[in-house]
Amino acid sequence: MIEPSVALFGDAYELVNGQLAGLLESARARYALLVDKKGFVLAHREALWAPNPPSLDSMATLIAGSAAATSALARLVGEVQFHELIQQGEDVGLYLESVSEQTLLAVVFDHEALVGKIKLFARRVVAELREILEQAAHSPAPVQLDREFSTSASALLDDLFGKDAGGSA
Amino acid sequence: MSVINFAAREINCKVVYYGPGFSGKTTNLKHVFSTVPQALRGEMVSLATEDERTLFFDFLPLELGTVQGFRTRFFLYTVPGQVFYNASRKLILRGVDGIVFVADSAPNRLRANAESMRNLRENLSEYGMSLQEIPLVIQVNKRDLPDALPLDMILQVIDPVRHYPHFEAIAGQGRGVFESLKAASKGVLERLAQPS
Ligand SMILES: Nc1nc2c(ncn2[C@@H]2O[C@H](COP(=O)(O)OP(=O)(O)OP(=O)(O)O)[C@@H](O)[C@H]2O)c(=O)[nH]1
Ligand SMILES: [Mg+2]
Repeated sequence: MIEPSVALFGDAYELVNGQLAGLLESARARYALLVDKKGFVLAHREALWAPNPPSLDSMATLIAGSAAATSALARLVGEVQFHELIQQGEDVGLYLESVSEQTLLAVVFDHEALVGKIKLFARRVVAELREILEQAAHSPAPVQLDREFSTSASALLDDLFGKDAGGSA
Repeated sequence: MSVINFAAREINCKVVYYGPGFSGKTTNLKHVFSTVPQALRGEMVSLATEDERTLFFDFLPLELGTVQGFRTRFFLYTVPGQVFYNASRKLILRGVDGIVFVADSAPNRLRANAESMRNLRENLSEYGMSLQEIPLVIQVNKRDLPDALPLDMILQVIDPVRHYPHFEAIAGQGRGVFESLKAASKGVLERLAQPS
């Protein structure tokens, strides 16, 4: 089972949200996300004026996939990792920066924002986030699941995939 | 947009479709995507080349529901089958919980099936994992091909001792897709319940 490498609960979660919200405001960005490098969204904030964000699962998977490819690439050329990545389109841009070994900050922005400001504020926030994660984050305690879990989950599988599993072949 | 309760524990299971290039892995995912009700699945993400060969991965999240208070999900991934893309294959295998091995029934792909299985073992062992601990089901796909090889001949090269459950499929018509996925998913759930 894949689990986020970071458990972000309670106060730490609120602090991270506060930082993300602050970043959106000061840099006038659309969305800010703290993403686990395994592909989970740990926290996210969107500006009130921003259009509805795309699927967060898709974003997190692609960001994690892209980060995995980028860091493999960095190692290939003899770097430990590349620190930040900016991608800009006609209207929308994406800023990625590694926060910790397990996490990344992703900021989506548009013409409302200046790239220089995004970089500047993102860097500040990354430093804050690092602090918060170091203080508070711990690996999630392992869950012990029992036979009953398997049985109930299996029943849900029947609902999802059909009892006779499609029943064609 | 759905509200996500980040404080709640989630159970996320990663099922990877493995197999030689062109065997029908992406086709499996597309069928699942188009059949499962929208409320129970997320968007499908495909990183493919111009000619629709998988370049990095396909991704499809499925929502099983809440079990004993845990939000339980299955994340389906396909790897790029083409030999060339091994670095990407390795990245996708990280943290895998269950595998659907999609074999191709075409006569000229017999060898590719065998090589892909060997490549799977090698890549897993680089993560210190083995097929001993990861549930695997074999889907023998493209049974509709007029010159499809006999089932036994294909199994002989990928699973000579008949250790894994196998399913015949015509993924292009949606046949055998859910059987394989369900068997792999049940295998994953079984393992979750075993004390580690
Ligand atoms: N005849 C037949 N063709 C199939 C079947 N399933 C898939 N195909 C075709 O096989 C081709 C390759 O299918 P994909 O699903 O893209 O194969 P893949 O395994 O994802 O290939 P890679 O991404 O390169 O690893 C496509 O043209 C499909 O339409 C099947 O059951 N029968
Ligand atoms: Mg594919």
